[in-house]
Amino acid sequence: MTDVIPEVVRFAAENTKEVGDVLGIGTDKRTRWARGIVERGPVDGTIFYAGEMYPVMGYSEGAFRMLKRVEGLMSINDLAKIGPIMRALGIYTVSINALWGSINRKYERALQDAVNVLKALGVSLGYLFEDEPPSGVALHTYGLLREFKEHADWVHRRLRGLGVKKIITLDPIVATAFRLYYPEFVRDWSIESHHFVEVVADRMAELGLRLNLGRKLRVTYHDPCYLARTLGVVDEVRFILSRVEGVELIEPARRGVLTGCSGDGGLELTQPPVARKVALDRVEELSKTGAELVLTSCPACMLMLRTGFESIGQSVDVWDLASLLAEAMNNVERGESISPSFRRYNVFPKSPHFRSLSLRDLSEVLKVETDRCKKCGFCNVECPTSKAMDRLESRSSRGRVTLINSLVSGDPVRPREVLDRLYTCVLCGRCSQECPAGLHVQELIVYGRAYSIYSGRIPEELLD
Amino acid sequence: MSDENLRRFLSELSRKVDKSKIFTEPEELYSYSLDASTEFKQPPAVVVRAGSEEDVRAVLELADRNRVPVVPRGGGTSLTGGPVPAVPNAILLDLTPMNRIEVNVDDGYAMAEAGATVLEVDKACRQYGFFFPPDPASSRIATIGGAIAENAGGLRGAKFGVMKNWILAMEVILPGGRRVRIGEPVYKWRWGPDLISLFVGSEGTLGVITKAWLKIYPLPEKVVRVLGVFDRIEEAGKAIAQIRRRGYVPMILELLDRETIEIVNESLGYNIEVAEAMVIADVDAPRESVWRIAGEVENVMRECGGRTSASDDPVEMERLYMARQGAYAAVTRAYPGVLLEDITVPLSKLSTALKELDDIRKEYGLRMPVFGHAGDGNLHPNICFDPRDEEQLRKAREMFLKTGEIAIRLGGAISGEHGIGLAKKELFLEEIKAVRGEGYVEMVRMIKQMIDPNGIMNPGKIFL
Ligand SMILES: Cc1cc2nc3c(=O)[nH]c(=O)nc-3n(C[C@H](O)[C@H](O)[C@H](O)COP(=O)(O)OP(=O)(O)OC[C@H]3O[C@@H](n4cnc5c(N)ncnc54)[C@H](O)[C@@H]3O)c2cc1C
Ligand code: SF4
Ligand code: SF4
Repeated sequence: MTDVIPEVVRFAAENTKEVGDVLGIGTDKRTRWARGIVERGPVDGTIFYAGEMYPVMGYSEGAFRMLKRVEGLMSINDLAKIGPIMRALGIYTVSINALWGSINRKYERALQDAVNVLKALGVSLGYLFEDEPPSGVALHTYGLLREFKEHADWVHRRLRGLGVKKIITLDPIVATAFRLYYPEFVRDWSIESHHFVEVVADRMAELGLRLNLGRKLRVTYHDPCYLARTLGVVDEVRFILSRVEGVELIEPARRGVLTGCSGDGGLELTQPPVARKVALDRVEELSKTGAELVLTSCPACMLMLRTGFESIGQSVDVWDLASLLAEAMNNVERGESISPSFRRYNVFPKSPHFRSLSLRDLSEVLKVETDRCKKCGFCNVECPTSKAMDRLESRSSRGRVTLINSLVSGDPVRPREVLDRLYTCVLCGRCSQECPAGLHVQELIVYGRAYSIYSGRIPEELLD
Repeated sequence: MSDENLRRFLSELSRKVDKSKIFTEPEELYSYSLDASTEFKQPPAVVVRAGSEEDVRAVLELADRNRVPVVPRGGGTSLTGGPVPAVPNAILLDLTPMNRIEVNVDDGYAMAEAGATVLEVDKACRQYGFFFPPDPASSRIATIGGAIAENAGGLRGAKFGVMKNWILAMEVILPGGRRVRIGEPVYKWRWGPDLISLFVGSEGTLGVITKAWLKIYPLPEKVVRVLGVFDRIEEAGKAIAQIRRRGYVPMILELLDRETIEIVNESLGYNIEVAEAMVIADVDAPRESVWRIAGEVENVMRECGGRTSASDDPVEMERLYMARQGAYAAVTRAYPGVLLEDITVPLSKLSTALKELDDIRKEYGLRMPVFGHAGDGNLHPNICFDPRDEEQLRKAREMFLKTGEIAIRLGGAISGEHGIGLAKKELFLEEIKAVRGEGYVEMVRMIKQMIDPNGIMNPGKIFL
C-alpha cells in the first residue's frame, strides 16, 4: 500500500499508536512529572489526565526550534525519516532528552501546578501513570479517522476497565477529543471530560475564594481556540483572574470566542514556517497589550507563543494559567459561596453526520455539505493561515472547501495535493463562525483529509 | 487559441514574472474555478497572482501577443459568473496581492490598489473621521477593482449611490500592456468623453483596473434608525416611494418581505415579529435635527399604514436590523439552491413590482423571499430551490427570467448592482431589444473592438 500522507504525519501517527505520543518520547518521560505529586489510580472515579502532549511538549518545542535552524537544508519530511533510524539505533530518546529535557521542565511544572491547585481546592483525583492511554487526538487532527476510531475504542475499554468516570485535563485539545470526538466515534461513551479551568472556576465560586499573588502583575490572556471557540469556555477564565489580587488583566484585540490562533493545530509539524508566521501575528498582537506575562491554557499554544516571542526578540514569559494560580494559592481567603453564570458559548453550526468512514459515505456527506458553500469568501477574511500564505485561494478556507468539493465530485485534482492544502489549516474554526451558509468548515476539513488519505491509498498490485 | 499559444505565453511570462506568482497545478486552478453565483464552474489554465503593475502589464502584453484570454479576478464574490472563465485555457489574473491603500485627507481622497478590499478602504478612512460610502454586503472581501468593474452598490446607496459616483481617477492596463490614467485625483476636471464611466461596470472585458483614487466623505454626525412594520407589502413600497418623493434621503432605506422574516426566524432561530413587510431607514443628520427628521420619516411610514419605532441606541439599532442582517445567511442556510435576482424599478413602480413578484411566487409555488435596497428601487428576490430536483430547477430558472421581465416592462433594469456576467446575458439582450435601440449592441462592440481588438479580455461576458 502506498500512502499520500507526508512522511512527518506517518511518523507522528505511528508514534501515537505505538509509543503514545507524537514524537515517540515514551511513557517513562510522559509520567515523570507526576512522581511524588499525585496518587495512583482514579480517586472517586476521577483522574487528572495529562495526555500525550503536555508532559512532553518541551521536546516538541526543542524540535520546532531546531527545524528553524535547519530550514533550507532539510525538510521536515526528511527529518521524519531520521527518527525511526535513530530509534533503531537506540539513541532516539537519549539524544532528545539531552537536547531538550531542560525545556520540558516548564511544561512538567505546569502539570504539577495544575494538580496542586486542584488538590488545594479540594478536588479528589488520581493519575493513571503508565496506564494512562493516549487520547490519540493527533490521529483525528491529521484525518486518520479510521485509525482514530480503532484507537478510541481501545481507550474507552481501557478507561472503563480502570474505573474512570470523569477526566480533568489541562489540555483543551484532549478535552475536546473526549467531549466531542469520542461520543461521535465510540459507542456508549459516557466518561465526563472537563478542562482544568472549568473545574477551578466552579470550585472557586463554590468556596467564594479570593487569591492573592502578593505582587502587582499586568497579564494578558491568550484564549486557545479549542478552549474558547470549540468548548465555549471563556467567562471562567475572566472570573478566575478577577479573583486574584495583584493581577491586572489586559485583553488583546482578538479574545474570547473571537480569539486569534497561535499557529498550532498540527501545523507546527506539517508546515513549520507557516505556523511561525501565524504565531508571529499573534505575539505581536499580545505584545501590544504591554503585559509583563502572557497566560494561556494549552500546551501547544504555549509552545507557539514562547517561540514566537523569542523570534520577535521579546523576553515576555508565557505561563499556563495553572502556574499563576499555584503561586497565588499561597495566600487564600475564603468567603461567601457565589454562583456566577458562565455562558457556554456555542459558536459553531451543527456538525455534519457521517454514517461511516467508508469512502462512499464520506464522499456523499462531503459532497452535500460542500455543495452548500456559496463561495462568498467570508470565511477567508479572518482565516489565519490564509493570511500567512498571502491569501492564496487554495490555502484559504473557501479554497479548501472548494477543493474538497472538487475531490469528491471527480474533478481531476489529486488526493495527495488536496491533502497538502488541507494540512495547511490549523483547525481554529474561525471560518465556521463567519460562514453565512452554516458550514462546519474545520470539521469538513478533517473529514476531507480522511477522504484524501483513504481515496489516495493505492494497493501495491495496482501500482504499475 | 491553441495549446501552443498558451505554452508560448507561459514560457515568455516566466521570463518577466516571478515564478512564485504563476500557478498551473490543477488544485490551484480548481480553487479559482467558481464565484459566488456557484452556477458556473470552469478552471483557468493558469493563475497569475499580480503583485505589481508590471506583472499586470506583462500578462496583458504577452496574452495579447499570443491571443490568450485573460480573466481578471478580485475577491471572486461576483454573483453572476464574472470572474469565472467562459472559455477553457484562460489566464486568471488574481489582483488581490495588489492591495495598498493611502488616504489623503487633505485632498479628500483615498488611493487604493485594485486588490484592496472595499472594507479596508472604509476602515482606513475612518481613522480620519471619514468613510467610504459604497458598501456592498460583500465589502469585507470584494475588492475595489471588482467593485468598480461591477459598479457595485450597497445599503448606503440610498443616499450615496454606487461606485461610479465615487471615482475621481483610475489607472487601467489595456490589452497589449499599455497603461492609461483616466481622470485626476481632484474634485473637478473635465474632458470628454468620460472614460471612467466606460470602465465602470465593464466586468473585466476592456482592461484591468490597477488602482483608483476614490472620494471620501465625513462620517455622519448622528444616525437614528427607524423601523416600519406593514400589513401589506404594497404599503411598504408606497412608504419608500413617498419618503423619497417628499425629499428625505435616508442613508439606508431597505425593505424585507414576510417570507424573508419567516426564513430568518426559521433558520437562525430568531423571534422577530412576522409582518407582511418591514422597512428600515437610517436617518443621518446633525445632532440638532436628526430626531426631527426621523420623526418625519416615521410619520410618512404611518401615513402609509405602518407601525413604527426608532432608536439611536447601538444595541437597539442592531436589534431593529436583525432581520436584514441575517437575511442572506438565513436563505443560504435554509436552501442549497438560490438564484439571487437583482432588479431595479422606478420608485413609482415599486408597489406594482412587489405585487407582480408575489404573483410569480404564487404561480410557481417556490419560496422567494424579497429584500433589498428598495430606496434605490433595487430588489433582490431570492428564488429558493433544491438543485437536485429537476422540476424545481426548471421553475427557478423560469422565475428568474420572469422577474427580469418585470423590470424591463416597468421601465427598470435587470441588474441594479450584481452585473451581467454569464448569468444575465440573455436577459440583458432582452432589455436591450426592449429599450436601448438597435445601435446599442453595435456601439458597445465597436468600443470593445477598438480597445481589445484581439478579444482577450474576459471573453464571453455581457455580450462581448
Ligand atoms: C454575500 C454577497 C453579498 C453581496 N452584496 C452585494 C451588494 O450589496 N451590492 C453589490 O453591488 N454587489 C454585491 N455582491 C456582489 C459582488 O460582491 C460585487 O459585485 C463585488 O463588487 C465584486 O467584487 P470582487 O472583488 O469580488 O470581484 P470579482 O467577483 O472577483 O470580479 C467581478 C468582475 O469584475 C472583474 N474584475 C475584478 N477585478 C478587476 C480589475 N481589477 N479590473 C478589471 N476587472 C476586474 C472580473 O473579471 C469580474 O467580471 C454580493 C456578493 C455576495 C457573495
Ligand atoms: S480554514 Fe478555518 S479552521 Fe482552517 S485555519 Fe482557516 S479559519 Fe482556521
Ligand atoms: S463562508 Fe461558508 S459559504 Fe462562504 S465561502 Fe466560506 S464556507 Fe463557503
